[in-house]
Amino acid sequence: MAYPQQVSEAAPVSPAARAGRAARPRLSLILSLLLAGPVQAEQVADPGAGEPGLSQECRVPGAQLYAAAQLGAVKAALAENRPLKLLAIGGSAAPGASASYPAKLEAALERALPKVDVVIDHRGLPGEVASGAAERLRTMVVEAEPDLVIWQVGTHDAIARVDAEAFEGALTEAVAWIRSHGIDVVLVDPIYTASMAADVDYNRIVEAVRTVATQQQVPLVRRYEALHYLSSRSDRGEGHMLGRQFRLNDLGLRCMAEHVALTIVTSLARTEAPPEPKPDPAAPPLTGPQGAPG
Amino acid sequence: MRDPNAIDFWRGFALVTIFINHIPGNTFERYTFSQYGISDAAELFVFLAGWSIGIATRGRDGVPEPPGKSVVRLLARTVEVYRAQLTVMLLALAIIAGAALLLDNPLILEWHNAGGFFADPIQSVCGMALLTYQLGFFNILPLYVLLIGVAPVFVLVGRVSLVAALVLSGGLYAASLVFEWNLPSWPGEGDWFFDPLCWQVLLVLGFVLQRWNLRSDVLRRWSRRLFPAGIAIVVAGIVLSVAEIRPDPMLVPSPRLLFTFEKTYLTPARLVHFLGVLLAFAPLYALLAPRLGHIVGYLTQLGRNSLAVFSMGSILSLIGQLVRFQTGGGLLIDMLVAGTGVIGLGFTAWFVEWRTRNRSPRPRP
Repeated sequence: MAYPQQVSEAAPVSPAARAGRAARPRLSLILSLLLAGPVQAEQVADPGAGEPGLSQECRVPGAQLYAAAQLGAVKAALAENRPLKLLAIGGSAAPGASASYPAKLEAALERALPKVDVVIDHRGLPGEVASGAAERLRTMVVEAEPDLVIWQVGTHDAIARVDAEAFEGALTEAVAWIRSHGIDVVLVDPIYTASMAADVDYNRIVEAVRTVATQQQVPLVRRYEALHYLSSRSDRGEGHMLGRQFRLNDLGLRCMAEHVALTIVTSLARTEAPPEPKPDPAAPPLTGPQGAPG
Repeated sequence: MRDPNAIDFWRGFALVTIFINHIPGNTFERYTFSQYGISDAAELFVFLAGWSIGIATRGRDGVPEPPGKSVVRLLARTVEVYRAQLTVMLLALAIIAGAALLLDNPLILEWHNAGGFFADPIQSVCGMALLTYQLGFFNILPLYVLLIGVAPVFVLVGRVSLVAALVLSGGLYAASLVFEWNLPSWPGEGDWFFDPLCWQVLLVLGFVLQRWNLRSDVLRRWSRRLFPAGIAIVVAGIVLSVAEIRPDPMLVPSPRLLFTFEKTYLTPARLVHFLGVLLAFAPLYALLAPRLGHIVGYLTQLGRNSLAVFSMGSILSLIGQLVRFQTGGGLLIDMLVAGTGVIGLGFTAWFVEWRTRNRSPRPRP
């Protein structure tokens, strides 16, 4: 896999990435560290009781929470011992700026991946994937140069009543484009809420996100299923002044970071180690002394 | 009240187009010209704003008004637009929140980035006042506030030399493209959807071209000569947008904004396409005006009251989206939504003019 080099050819390389590439060492140590944590988590996983590692209120069985897939670019970034750059798209912050989704995600990932510096760029992407938002996404990806895009997708298209096939086509194209540039993608499907449960169009959009994730072989956070599970379980407990659906929504926002982090970590555990990086004949100077910071 | 003219006509046309385009997924969207080119109605709207500044800052006799008067006039307009932006934002947030409560559907709170406001009202309300917190589809007015706000600089430079104003503006535009300058969004990461540092070039271009057009016949002669080039650019735009051909922003050479089609930065491709559209369609008004009596009357009335019509259009399109969402859409709903909207825009323009006509020195109730 030579994609970090491909990226560096196309776009300016950030100093941090360059620094990471210049020091490309201790592969085995990092890999062993990496593999140890998540695999362990998987072994104890009990589908009935919900994934451990999740806080009590967010606990959902793994099967209803995620579909794992390979994350080659993330693995490569970790192997190169450089900060992991994530671009998180969509998902508003939960109440209280300090406990917002990106901050929680960063914390959850840094807990799960010790010694890894996680840097998150969080952007809103209003508009429909099927008309325009996919183009803006490209701009964001070029600007952020991430290793991984975590894309909460489908809500706007569902609200705009975009045809599910048009949505699926546009999403497929966008995901394929990101991956063609050696960047990993994790998709997060729309929320579950009672008033939409019977809505055929809405379910088709959720279904489309799932289809694209399967076809493009990218991990999927099944937020719809997870929230559905939590809604059936959480009848008790304190009410919400705006009603039950709003309480569930709050819970979904609180849990999203944990759910995304678990999906990433599980997917990483299933990702084969990148081959020993060999020098790229096209651009050896980039990774050499010139690439060093300073 | 002004008589019907090309500027108000095209402005009204842009307003109706923006209204339809702001109800994504609706049936009529595919019949707007925005779907068939690289640039869209936003370019037209900003360019015509610049052209109007040219008209507004000189008297009926064509002699420029005193510079101080122009500055105050533009300042007053900036305040008006700012006030409109705050009102529209508040109403939009209330409509989104109200719909979520009424329909017991928290999904609606995420609409157009509104989720950020409800999750973090303390920072967001500051961002709203600072114009750095913007909702999706509600981002033209913040641009407009800034553009009219800085317009006095270009107007004053233009009094000395129009070329200097254009060079100043073009220089800022080029530098913003090369160095990717933009204003930040806050709260939340990211930048303005419409980069004012880039989009100002269109306003200044409109202003300068209006002056040149008035001053001599050269511009008109050249626009006639370049008419075929305009047609060629329009055709190329249709081909590119229908075939969905656009450069991959990851693969273009650096500085990438010189080559991509990004709306945020009004990239050169969009600017060239817009100028092509201008060359190709500017002569059309003279042909249409005698044949489309009522439509010309309707569109020019919208154009004369663009701020009120635009503001009302934003609100109506949001309501239209909610109606489409709740009912599931379909041709009948789309016809109802678009029809109500078009009548609503017309009523707004009529109402503003009625109110102005009837404004008397008597104390208001």
